[in-house]
Amino acid sequence: MSAVLPHPGDHAHDDHHAQPHGWRRWLFATNHKDIGTMYLLFSFTMFMIGGVLALLIRSELFQPGLQFVNPELFNQFTTMHGLIMVFGAIMPAFVGFANWMIPLQIGASDMAFARMNNLSFWLLIPAALMLAGSFFMPGGAPAAGWTIYAPLTMQMGPSMDAGIFALHILGASSIMGSINIIVTILNMRAPGMTLMKMPLFAWTWLITAFLLIAVMPVLAGAITMTLTDRHFGTSFFNPAGGGDPIMYQHIFWFFGHPEVYIMILPAFGIISAIVPAFARKKLFGYASMVYATASIAILSFIVWAHHMYTTGMPVTGQLFFMYATMLIAVPTGVKIFNWIATMWKGSMTFETPMLWAVGFIFVFTMGGFTGLILAMAPIDIQLQDTYYVVAHFHYVLVAGSLYAMFAGVYYWGPKWTGVMYSETRGKIHFWGSLIFFNITFFPMHFLGLAGMPRRYADYPMQFADFNMWATIGAFGFGLMQVYFFLFVVLPMMRGQGAPAPQKPWEGAEGLEWEVPSPAPWHTFENPPKLDATATRVVG
Amino acid sequence: MATDAQRKANLRTGWILAGLAALFGVGFVVRIIVFGG
Repeated sequence: MSAVLPHPGDHAHDDHHAQPHGWRRWLFATNHKDIGTMYLLFSFTMFMIGGVLALLIRSELFQPGLQFVNPELFNQFTTMHGLIMVFGAIMPAFVGFANWMIPLQIGASDMAFARMNNLSFWLLIPAALMLAGSFFMPGGAPAAGWTIYAPLTMQMGPSMDAGIFALHILGASSIMGSINIIVTILNMRAPGMTLMKMPLFAWTWLITAFLLIAVMPVLAGAITMTLTDRHFGTSFFNPAGGGDPIMYQHIFWFFGHPEVYIMILPAFGIISAIVPAFARKKLFGYASMVYATASIAILSFIVWAHHMYTTGMPVTGQLFFMYATMLIAVPTGVKIFNWIATMWKGSMTFETPMLWAVGFIFVFTMGGFTGLILAMAPIDIQLQDTYYVVAHFHYVLVAGSLYAMFAGVYYWGPKWTGVMYSETRGKIHFWGSLIFFNITFFPMHFLGLAGMPRRYADYPMQFADFNMWATIGAFGFGLMQVYFFLFVVLPMMRGQGAPAPQKPWEGAEGLEWEVPSPAPWHTFENPPKLDATATRVVG
Repeated sequence: MATDAQRKANLRTGWILAGLAALFGVGFVVRIIVFGG
């Protein structure tokens, strides 16, 4: 039974209900679905820009020697690739998912602060323009790494200020988005949707939003201090004036490590929705999944210095951060085992969303294991700033966050667009991406173990073969994403394909499947009455 | 649609969270200025 009100046109007497058309619909958007769509399109655009930068990096590294770019420009590419992917692609993409799905999943009519939601999105545009435009400023784009470490930040041109301002704006957008998500979840759930009946995706976002509120202001503080060091004569981090660059690292990673979980917890939520749907079983250990998510979030605040073993910290410090980091494997393991237990003896089918979900579990776990290896101080001291680290975090962020997003697009895309994607094309996208991803990043483990440092435009001849393979894989992976846009996303957006039923997936559960496909502009305007499991509307 | 009571509750929760964010940001900087790294 649908809880959707009649067509919006029936409410034309009330301006709030009338659906605007043309550019006003998007510029003045307050509807969570429209804003979600804009977030997703924006993040995909940034993903493609960051991807082009990645391919420029890989082109330079195809062979030893300097082929296309000088080392200064290479540093700008690596810095901007990281900043754009983290702040422009992954984070906004998950906010897009949250905008689309959280109100639908908890039976709310919209986000709590619809106008602030609009502002959160539109702040992204000037920030992105400033980031991308910094390439054209005197001295080029920021080149201090995505971590914008002092004292490199003291040596950058005016683009560093533009980068800092862009990060401030992106941070403000994230904080507003987080407040919106928390208030929506805490205050706007349908009657009967208790916290412990909420879909895991909403739970993971609730915890992620608290993480964002806690750490984004810390980053804002750190980069503001960087700004005052650059222009106002302070010396927080500038060693030339008695400042401490190591302190910057501590502050940055106090933000930076929770940030890693900000980029992966919503992915866990998406996978926790998809695995039960295609195993046709209830999620195994729902409560333990919630507690594991909260545990990961809490632990993320006490592990930051595992990024800094080589800065000369005392052995007791190394031991603390080593054991604390290894402790995170426990709640993460709970999640992995729960997904496997959900699949165990399930009536499984492998449509595209499930392929991505299983691919996520397998490849993300590999990234998790290399994370454990890097957590050990004696090993990390050898591997610090090598390609082993690059391989590790790409296994977590590409095979983790990005795979989960693709899984989510295939799983909820029919609900968003009202069109089923082509299974054949979805599977080509999955298998192509999986193969090329591993061709790109698996050899990087060997490069790192052999001692190849990251962020260098050149390398000795001994690293040539693996680098060549990595570059071939990167271009293949990029090609698969162009294929995804042209042959999966565009046809769905244009309405080309079989009409999607209200619930395309036999085993799927949740309120989002109680509304027609595509989801109407207004849903759950009156709080729906739910059954005892809070997964069905009964009146 | 949100009721008036819900809107008030939303605003209250929103301001509390915004205050928390401001406290984290300003508090962190003040702590470093006053007590050092």
